[in-house]
Amino acid sequence: MATVAASPTYAGAESGEHTGLWSWLTTVDHKRIGVLYLYTSLFFFLFGGLEAVLIRAQLAGPNKHLVSAETFNQLFTMHGTTMIFLAVMPLSASFFNFLIPLQIGARDVAFPRLNAFSYWVYLFGGLFITLPIFFAAAPDGGWFGYAPLTTRQFSQGVNIDFWVLGLQILGISSLAAAFNFITTIINLRAPGMNLMRMPMFTWMSFVVQFLLVLAFPVITIALFFLQFDRFFGTNFYEIGAGGDPLLWQHLFWIFGHPEVYILILPAFGLVSEVLPTNSKKPLFGYPVMVYSGILIGFLGFGVWAHHMFSVGMGPIADTVFGLTTLLIAIPTGVKIFNWIFTMWGGSIRFTTAMKFAIGLVALFTIGGISGVSHASPPADLQQTDTYYIVAHFHYVLFGGSIMGIFAGIYHYFPKMFGRMMNEKLGSWHFWLNFIAMNLTFFPMHFSGMLGMPRRIYTYDAGQGWETFNLISSIGAFMLVVATAIFVWNFFRSKSSGPLAPDNPWDAATLEWSIPSPPPEYNFAEIPLVESRYPLWDLTHPERTSEIPHTHEGWSDQEKAADAKPVHIERDRRSAKELGIPMPLPTIKPLFVALGIVVMLSGLIFIHKEDKSAAAALIALGAMMIIGFLYAWVTSPLEPDHH
Amino acid sequence: MHWKIRPRQLASVAILTGLALAIAACGSYGKGYPNSTFNNTTEFNTAIKSLWDTLLFWGTFVFILVEGILLYTVFRFRRRSDADEPQHVHGNTALEIGWTIAPAVILTFIAIPTVRTIFRTQARAVPNALQVEVVGHQWWWEFRYPQFTTRTPTGRVDTLVTANDLYLPIGRTVNFTLRTKDVIHSFWVPQLGGKRDLVSNHTNYLWFTPDTSLRTTVFNGSCNEYCGASHANMRFRTFVVTPTEFDGWVQHQLSPAAFAAAPPAPATPAPADTARAAGAPTRPASASPAPVPVTPAVAVAQQPTGYTFPMESLPDYASPDTPTPAGLSFPDNITGDAQRGAEQFARSACIGCHTIRGTVAASPIGPNLTHIATRSTIAAGIYPNDARHLRLWIKNARMMKPGVAMPTLGLGQRDPVTGATVSQSLGGLSDQQIADIVAYLQALR
Repeated sequence: MATVAASPTYAGAESGEHTGLWSWLTTVDHKRIGVLYLYTSLFFFLFGGLEAVLIRAQLAGPNKHLVSAETFNQLFTMHGTTMIFLAVMPLSASFFNFLIPLQIGARDVAFPRLNAFSYWVYLFGGLFITLPIFFAAAPDGGWFGYAPLTTRQFSQGVNIDFWVLGLQILGISSLAAAFNFITTIINLRAPGMNLMRMPMFTWMSFVVQFLLVLAFPVITIALFFLQFDRFFGTNFYEIGAGGDPLLWQHLFWIFGHPEVYILILPAFGLVSEVLPTNSKKPLFGYPVMVYSGILIGFLGFGVWAHHMFSVGMGPIADTVFGLTTLLIAIPTGVKIFNWIFTMWGGSIRFTTAMKFAIGLVALFTIGGISGVSHASPPADLQQTDTYYIVAHFHYVLFGGSIMGIFAGIYHYFPKMFGRMMNEKLGSWHFWLNFIAMNLTFFPMHFSGMLGMPRRIYTYDAGQGWETFNLISSIGAFMLVVATAIFVWNFFRSKSSGPLAPDNPWDAATLEWSIPSPPPEYNFAEIPLVESRYPLWDLTHPERTSEIPHTHEGWSDQEKAADAKPVHIERDRRSAKELGIPMPLPTIKPLFVALGIVVMLSGLIFIHKEDKSAAAALIALGAMMIIGFLYAWVTSPLEPDHH
Repeated sequence: MHWKIRPRQLASVAILTGLALAIAACGSYGKGYPNSTFNNTTEFNTAIKSLWDTLLFWGTFVFILVEGILLYTVFRFRRRSDADEPQHVHGNTALEIGWTIAPAVILTFIAIPTVRTIFRTQARAVPNALQVEVVGHQWWWEFRYPQFTTRTPTGRVDTLVTANDLYLPIGRTVNFTLRTKDVIHSFWVPQLGGKRDLVSNHTNYLWFTPDTSLRTTVFNGSCNEYCGASHANMRFRTFVVTPTEFDGWVQHQLSPAAFAAAPPAPATPAPADTARAAGAPTRPASASPAPVPVTPAVAVAQQPTGYTFPMESLPDYASPDTPTPAGLSFPDNITGDAQRGAEQFARSACIGCHTIRGTVAASPIGPNLTHIATRSTIAAGIYPNDARHLRLWIKNARMMKPGVAMPTLGLGQRDPVTGATVSQSLGGLSDQQIADIVAYLQALR
């Protein structure tokens, strides 16, 4: 770290109007929204972790009654819902927000205010679905919410109401963000940043946005059916009226399986940035990595019924979905090998981020292998809904997504906050996390195959499960210690870590060509790109000499002027001084988001004798949406520049 | 700071400990795992186990290969000096084609036996199979044997029905018809084969044949699809018995409720010969008195004409140890009278939900109690079927099992669902009345 430029922090970077609570509520800067996503999702990650610790405490031994059956059912429902919708997805969204514009050389996302709206919907939706647990009224139908258990007949309380409406709200956030990023990636790439030159994280995120756009409408429909059954007396899933619960299962898993790839592909993308950088080598087989990512996303839509091998679909359907599921192992295996061969022959530097990235390769492999074992339908009949499945998907989601996201946080922390994280604490975090993770989840393979069902709040002694459960619980408590080290490291480094240089890891992509943290406008001058590794073209031309360099995508003037491609940005002037128009901060997206939550929360009261609370909330929410949306669309995005 | 432990060293210790544990676990393989899925107990489970062996083989192969290469790469190519500048390989088409084809080949080895097993295990069951209808309820199991019926004196045809205890003959294919009365459940006996869901408004099937190598024994079963508050409390026992024992059991279960009149019975031990005094027609009298209430059934266990699995030899894993809730107790000094209990039962809320064949109780909502004294457990496998637990159960079932449909009946008890205190007018039962009813139920062998 020889050349540590005096890097401004967020607060110091800009004039006074950009600090304070109000500036965070009104921000439309993709980087600050990314930081908001990061804080919020880390909070929910800790909250979901706490729920998991209670679950593990209850199951540490047989016949324990730390919490009641009802509380336990709320805990596992909310643990799943929180980790999927409120932690891992928005942790990825934090990186989408922060990184995509920087990686493609853009000054912001395509729709900055829609971006703020996505965040606020996520925050309010997250609170809406989380707060009921403090009133013992949290959703208790499992994160998969199978009908008919979730219909009014079998779940009369408001618990499931919160779940149905909460997921609808969160879906709005995901869809708005997905359209925003698709538009951004297609339209706002810097000259020369062809699709096949995009950094792998942006590529995987691009695939994920399409998965979101295609998968979320399906669960929206499924939830609308359930919502109408619960609130307005329709009969989509009401078994007394001939409803078919398998309709829910098909719709849910047509969403639910792509959702798995929505959770994992961003982590794959992050790791594909960390591994080459810390191996001093370009990514091995870049085109194949792109194609396998697309293929995984595509095949992900054709495998949903492997979650349903025990429902009795018949041999033909079992065969088809078993085979398509086996197929997915091929592009996934290709990715694993390409990562390993990115490191092969390299010069591996074990930063904390690199350790987490290697951890992902090691642990996701285990999750992939166990995944193949339930792609075989008859074998799955002994595995489904047992702890073996719990072991499998925690290797995929914890060993995969979470390890990848930690790699991303350690790698990009300097760019986000302008300071370095402590590597020693990072190393402790990694090793403790790695050991504790295996201690928690590996024994679940055994308890599952030895007959332990999932989602049981208690089990009898003498079933052969005690030892495995105790080890799992000890591991879970160790994970708490590991995570505490991370949190401590995060906040300590943020306030007093050493200042970060522009490019602390000697990385190859555009986000490292600008100051840490980046100025509000990102790039004083939009960079020109002529290869896949623009920054290495500048700093280590020998690393990229073998790949084609062209000026394809440049304008004629740029070509004619023989403009210098990427440069290290030294300009520290403000947007105003540089004459760069920046979008105006606005509070309106926040209020539109709040309006949606207020309006839908009216439905919670609709079965009350007195309908006035419901009517008032629905009317108030609708007025907020219409009023603030009108104000939003009629106000200019940027100040006038005539 | 002189603290010398480095996280990596800690990791080495942990990994070695983990390996030692894994080896220890493998060493104890098969011992003490009463719900293990790795068995050749049925042709269904044998087929699954053989698939599993294939999967485990290739999984282990891929695991060792990938993690081996990964570890080698990470150690071999670690950075020794910041000046290192590696070769900049961008890809290798031959290699990449290679590691696309290799997994495809391995997957083919898995796919072929998989597809064959799917079609073999989902074929139609043999026509002479034993038919068992499994009906799921929140949260208990109803097992119906439609091939075994009896005609009541009034001419009605009754089917053999039991709850939470499933009896299967060794060597005969059993074909399960799976339905549910409410939400989705899943029927699973891990020792005997894979599971199958009970889906609302659907009928599912599952068949297997308990292997002739089996001896009379019991396996645990459970619900495996989350089905609400007491999902964890929806268990059952599967008794795999010899064909002779099975015939005896059928005959016994088809006989009418074995109670006419009985002398007053103390709570524990109950009189051993209540049923015989009542003159149960299917079982010849046996002289041996027994120490626990359920034992009389045992006394006739060896008799070919009436069979119940000997509950005193119920293995530990099949004997529930669920603790009873704190704050729920029953005085020890009350003695129940079965005759009074029978009368009390007939005029209490009990008959609103339960059937006892040959009596006024004929409601199909709750478990059929005709031969309740022969059952191994109550409340779907979570409590032993003894006087103490039966009394507590009737007194306040809702404290004993979260969300249960059975109402709280003990006078003065607080119903944890409604919050109301049970009064006389709500059909509340005094401790004496409960003890009487329990004495009656324990006479129903």
